[in-house]
Amino acid sequence: MEFVTSMAGSYPRPDWFKLHLKKQEGSQKGVAGLIDDRYVKALKQVLDEQDKAQIQLKTDGQLLWHNMLCHLCYKIEGFAPGGLIRFYDNNMYYQKPRVESELKRKNSIILSEYLKARESGHDIKPVLSCYTLTKLSSNSFYSSDDDFLQALASVLNQEARDLADAGARVIQVDEPALLSADKEGLEIAKKAFEVLVKDVDASFVLSTYYADASKAFAELLEFPVQGIGLDFVEGKDINLKLIKEHGLDLDLQAGVVDARTTRMEDPANVSKLVSEITKAVDSDRLYVCPNMGLEYLPYVKAAQKLSVLSDSIRGGVLR
Amino acid sequence: MKNKLLPTTVVGSHPKPKWLNHLIVEFEQGNLDKGVMESAFNDSVRAVVKVQELAGLDIFWDGEMRREEMTSYFAENIDGFTVYGPVRVWGNNYYKKPAITGELRYRDEFSLSDYRFLSSLTDRGIKVPLTGPYTIVDWSFNEHYNTKEDAVYALAEVINEELKALVAAGADFIQIDDPAISTHVDELEVAKKSVEIATKGVKAYIGLHICYGDYSKLYPQVLDFPVDQLDFELANKNFEDIKIFREHDFTKDIGFGCVDVHTKRVESVAEIKENITKSFEMVEPKQVYVDPDCGVKLLSPQKAFEKLKNMCDAAEELREEL
Repeated sequence: MEFVTSMAGSYPRPDWFKLHLKKQEGSQKGVAGLIDDRYVKALKQVLDEQDKAQIQLKTDGQLLWHNMLCHLCYKIEGFAPGGLIRFYDNNMYYQKPRVESELKRKNSIILSEYLKARESGHDIKPVLSCYTLTKLSSNSFYSSDDDFLQALASVLNQEARDLADAGARVIQVDEPALLSADKEGLEIAKKAFEVLVKDVDASFVLSTYYADASKAFAELLEFPVQGIGLDFVEGKDINLKLIKEHGLDLDLQAGVVDARTTRMEDPANVSKLVSEITKAVDSDRLYVCPNMGLEYLPYVKAAQKLSVLSDSIRGGVLR
Repeated sequence: MKNKLLPTTVVGSHPKPKWLNHLIVEFEQGNLDKGVMESAFNDSVRAVVKVQELAGLDIFWDGEMRREEMTSYFAENIDGFTVYGPVRVWGNNYYKKPAITGELRYRDEFSLSDYRFLSSLTDRGIKVPLTGPYTIVDWSFNEHYNTKEDAVYALAEVINEELKALVAAGADFIQIDDPAISTHVDELEVAKKSVEIATKGVKAYIGLHICYGDYSKLYPQVLDFPVDQLDFELANKNFEDIKIFREHDFTKDIGFGCVDVHTKRVESVAEIKENITKSFEMVEPKQVYVDPDCGVKLLSPQKAFEKLKNMCDAAEELREEL
């Protein structure tokens, strides 16, 4: 057993930090909080929680992100915030980004947060999103989805290069929208990924969740990434079947505990699931993690979820 | 239950007075006596009643002064729920997402005293809005029941008990708020059955409020729900959904959301009249209840009043013309 325990992205903000951000930012505005000493304290707190739960490849918990999209969009010139809209089937909303002018990376996007997290000495995985971000935005500037996607990929490529230079060896790209993309969407997404990963000295994991990958699996295998992420909670049976039937010559980030419920899995069942997965994928190419970011949970339940994960796979060692 | 054409009503919530929000914070921090808090809630309901009178509404609710949001308020009064802590809704806004950790059982009333207090303050009609079992479960974690359906039906039984108690106390108009229905249209049958269980033996006029989401995925199936009225937001989507509803005979009354609660712009009386008139493209005037798209709590008190007043004036002018 040589797989790596990992985080999938977000971690709930500590309650005191929520209050701090609310004071700093207000309830209505879309502006992001500052990297100040309060942030550093909150960051340390969630890194410590991950450490206690023996998570090897950690994230900064995306503590300043208001949702999966806006934190990336509003640091990119050309996006403006629109009206509130539901994020998938969650009781969670985001301000639908609008493209109003040419996309440009004027400043770094998540690099300063990444650098701060790296100061902890932990192995940290930054998280981006590309195709999904364009699918959940509205575009009245670019003449086609393809142009919009290419422009965004090019902006994110600059960020990814800096992240890799700053020490990121794995970069996760969240793409739940690819699971429902049509052939053309998958085609232009693949082209965009070629731009996104170009000359970036890191390995990319294309992460999917909320469903199984039956509609996109064969195409995803052709993407220029080193790994894909599959949801073995919400798409368990079909995703198991897919990796068994197709095989997988990539790293696999396997979401094996349910980040959207406070019900705690029996570690023995999780362990059984991981064994099933290792029948199709070499365990040294496997990252086990929650099926998505943990911010759907109350703070006290997030650490418990991670403990279930590490209890079920004790013995995993960092490659 | 209608005795006049185009009765005007609210969906439920009203902006809380600033002083009330201030006192709620003090109370939560333990700086305020429970009795003082109670009297503050009651006074704020009196203020809402006055505002609704001045606006000219026909059917009132208490503005939900006691409810912070529409899930945990109910969950905290029902056995089987635990609240671990807040979960984000958007940005810096969170709600106390409940978890079902045991069998759901009726413990104590959760709207009856609100109804009784309001009915002591006004002779106008009253509508009691309650979040539907489907939505409460959808917005909660389920640790106890094997399936979501089991949890929904168990909660529907609890709500049924409350609805019967409301009717026994004199309530004749109940609105089930079920915004989550539009987010999982594949579970429409579960939602329908939950409404059936919740309203079984409840002798009142029943409305079902569904906001947000794509109505084309619910319609016409939602006409089969055992309710008298469907309450929809129309203004927010510029009344484009009327064409969806026109595709089938609209066999219920409609709560016609004719004022947009997501914009501060106060629609004029003439504009709202035109909006209400659009309902006649899909139903007879006698089927129409006039209300805003949703609760008005996110507006400022002044804007909320102005919108409600113009809405009531518009309905009054139309009544005279019809």
